Amino acid sequence: MKVGSPARKGLWLGIAAIILIALPLLVKSSFTIDIFIRILLFSFIGVAWNLMGGYAKQLSLGHAAFFGLGAYTSTILQIKFGISPWIGMAAGGVVAMLASLPIGALCFRLRGPYFAIATIATAQVLMLIFLKLRDFAWGAEGTTIPNLGNAPLMMQFEAKAAYYYIVLGLAVLGLAITWKVERSWMGYYLVAIGEDEVAAEAVGVNAPRIKRDIYLISSFLTALAGTFYVQYIYFIDPNTAFNFNISLEAALVSIVGGIGTLWGPVIGTVLLESSAALLQSWLGSVRGGIQLTVYSLILMAVILWRPTGLIGIFTHWYERIVHRRDLARAA
Amino acid sequence: MAMGEALVVRNLSKRFGGLRAVQDLSFSVNENETVALIGPNGAGKTTSFNLITGRYQPDAGSVLAFGREMVGLHSYEVCAHGMARTFQVARPFGGMTVLDNVMTGALLRDKDLGTARNRAREAIEFVGLAAKEKIAARTLTTIDQRRLEMARALATQPRLLLLDEVMAGLNPSEIDQAVSLVGKLSKRGLTIVIVEHVMRAVMAVARHIVVLDHGQKIAEGTPKEIVENEEVIRAYLGSDSAHVPALGST
Amino acid sequence: MLATVAQAVVNGLLIGGVYALVSIGVTLIFGVVKIVNFAQGEFVMIGMYITFFLFMQFGIDPLVSLLVSMPALFIVGVLLQHFLIRRVLGQNDMPQIFLTFALSLLLLNLSLLLFTANYRSVHTWYSDEALHFGEVYIPVAKLIAFVVAMTLSGALWAFLHTTDLGKAMRAAAQNREVAMLMGINPNRVFCVAVGVALALAGAAGSLLMPFYSAYPMVGQVFVLMAFVAVVLGTLGNVLGALVASLMMGMAESLGIQFVGADSGLIVVFVMLLLTLAFRPNGLAGGRARL
Repeated sequence: MKVGSPARKGLWLGIAAIILIALPLLVKSSFTIDIFIRILLFSFIGVAWNLMGGYAKQLSLGHAAFFGLGAYTSTILQIKFGISPWIGMAAGGVVAMLASLPIGALCFRLRGPYFAIATIATAQVLMLIFLKLRDFAWGAEGTTIPNLGNAPLMMQFEAKAAYYYIVLGLAVLGLAITWKVERSWMGYYLVAIGEDEVAAEAVGVNAPRIKRDIYLISSFLTALAGTFYVQYIYFIDPNTAFNFNISLEAALVSIVGGIGTLWGPVIGTVLLESSAALLQSWLGSVRGGIQLTVYSLILMAVILWRPTGLIGIFTHWYERIVHRRDLARAA
Repeated sequence: MAMGEALVVRNLSKRFGGLRAVQDLSFSVNENETVALIGPNGAGKTTSFNLITGRYQPDAGSVLAFGREMVGLHSYEVCAHGMARTFQVARPFGGMTVLDNVMTGALLRDKDLGTARNRAREAIEFVGLAAKEKIAARTLTTIDQRRLEMARALATQPRLLLLDEVMAGLNPSEIDQAVSLVGKLSKRGLTIVIVEHVMRAVMAVARHIVVLDHGQKIAEGTPKEIVENEEVIRAYLGSDSAHVPALGST
Repeated sequence: MLATVAQAVVNGLLIGGVYALVSIGVTLIFGVVKIVNFAQGEFVMIGMYITFFLFMQFGIDPLVSLLVSMPALFIVGVLLQHFLIRRVLGQNDMPQIFLTFALSLLLLNLSLLLFTANYRSVHTWYSDEALHFGEVYIPVAKLIAFVVAMTLSGALWAFLHTTDLGKAMRAAAQNREVAMLMGINPNRVFCVAVGVALALAGAAGSLLMPFYSAYPMVGQVFVLMAFVAVVLGTLGNVLGALVASLMMGMAESLGIQFVGADSGLIVVFVMLLLTLAFRPNGLAGGRARL
């Protein structure tokens, strides 16, 4: 969390907000907007993961399950029933929440690494299921969504800026929810569960119910991202929708940036996506494996030297700068 | 002096594989009484606490806290019903501050943060940690972590408090402080059950003592009766544990 | 019909032997060091590539490569424990899970970068040979793999139960604190445990080459099998991992024969989820015994 008086924090946020809102007007390159969209999207997915994985330390590596369910729900409703993806997005969120109940019931019984493995398994099982669903969901080939040109009611736009603002809205939503939870009694309970579930239960924390509830929120938000993604790339197939890399990045950005903090996922996303974009521009086409090699090296470095995430470095520098300035002023 | 029974344990039993950790344990604690559970190492004292507070489920038996059956409940439900416990090895929420730790306990009764904060501060004040409110729990000394543990349990506003070896490793003056805390809690009306090895403390606070050995109750009575009980003496001297409590001495 | 079943059972049993080497390694590390080695499959992959290169460059038979892959991976294991794993041991879940996870990612993707995604295979004089028992045919390469795998498992068992170091490992697995009090150096024991586990993975790699192709992602398949077998056989229980691996091999094989060619994966996931749902402590019921 950034330190400083509320006034100072407010100032920084205000500046950031103005820049972010004005961005599409300042930046004309479609490629650059695309990068920002990716950063905002994965920040959002990371924030959604962080509620559960960061605060409550339920280290899921299967959030792609909800991403995919969101993506498929809105697409099926759109193509087969002509329902607007705006509604489909909400419906996808509900489907994801419903799925999180049995998945949670099964997985929360397990500790640590076996929880992670079970979540990986559930996302993979969903992928396998959707690979088989030919009539219901286009099977392995997937489908494109019909290009309707500029159709705001069907979440399709000609201006890329529109997609930017939608995902910006999602990211703000995710951060706002996290901010609210952090400051509420639930925030305390989540961190307590993450620190020591047995001790938490001994002081009255209903851990099973809290975990179930946070899973509902986390899965709902992740599903929204899935719908957005389909609308953005006009395509869906099981391999894209339930891809392990999505689960991975959801967890990674929080771990690298600052697990269990408000801004951690954002910092992590900026770092990881920037490095990916840099790699792409240096090496031309993305050589198989280079991006994940870099990601895994960053992850290992963070784990070995800064397990609480890089956000600690930022707050440290910030404090030193402010401290020095205050000293100078006092002199 | 209150006459009701705060805690009634009847025929409590638990096996772990082939090991009978607790066998047919029965005892009761009156309201506002302070009772000590003693016995050589491995006698099943902490296991009994775990069974009574819902951390493990017993194979048989019943636990009534203020007349309500606790067996079958989760530990968070037990706590909500007014029975709180501390752990033998303190389990603080390491990454949180002292205040936040205790607030987590206080939030059980009232989800409003302001109210919880005030209650938490009262509990912190009571155990003497007020100056360290903002300190991260993982950096506290062991003794302060125990104080924190107690404050956190107190913040849940229990009527019945189970303390697991809070005196272990304390020096004499610290023991006196702890004994005085327990005395103050009793004056507030709390019913207290302590598991303890430090006999000096046991003699000072307990009106009634229950002695366990190999999972079974071997004696029960006033401190004076226990000190003179041959079975108890045999259990301690004849057991493998080298710990022979200095009964009745300072 | 009976012959088909018998064939499937035999196939499954034979490959199950190799799965056993991988899963015993995982359960050994879990039992002794108490962490889950997500990268175990990648070490199988490395064993395969070592074997491949020795064969292509020097004409060395995969079985002889065992003499290279096993010691090499043992050393890697010791280094892994000493320099990396040791650093996360005092910490909570997150670093412990993600360290080996990151390592798995790193090794897989490095291998993708260095070797490309192409399949690499070797062809030995026995790659196509098979023994015939009635209508059941047993590929020689797979049979050799099974026999060597069982021998190595037996050797490990003997090591754990008859040598001082092996007993020290079992002691550390059962109760680390008491073991330390008795003078056992935990780091040394951990180094050996990880070294042995990786050596077994390397052995699996060498044994696989005559009949299985190497490619960067190959480890993922084996580690998945291994995890299921470890959970099914009870975490930390070596015999359990062995038996469960043989069962997994047969289940997969029967699935492929009677349900469909791509059902292997589903069978595995179903077994995993069923185990986790109904018998999370595994068949041995929670008794972790090295």
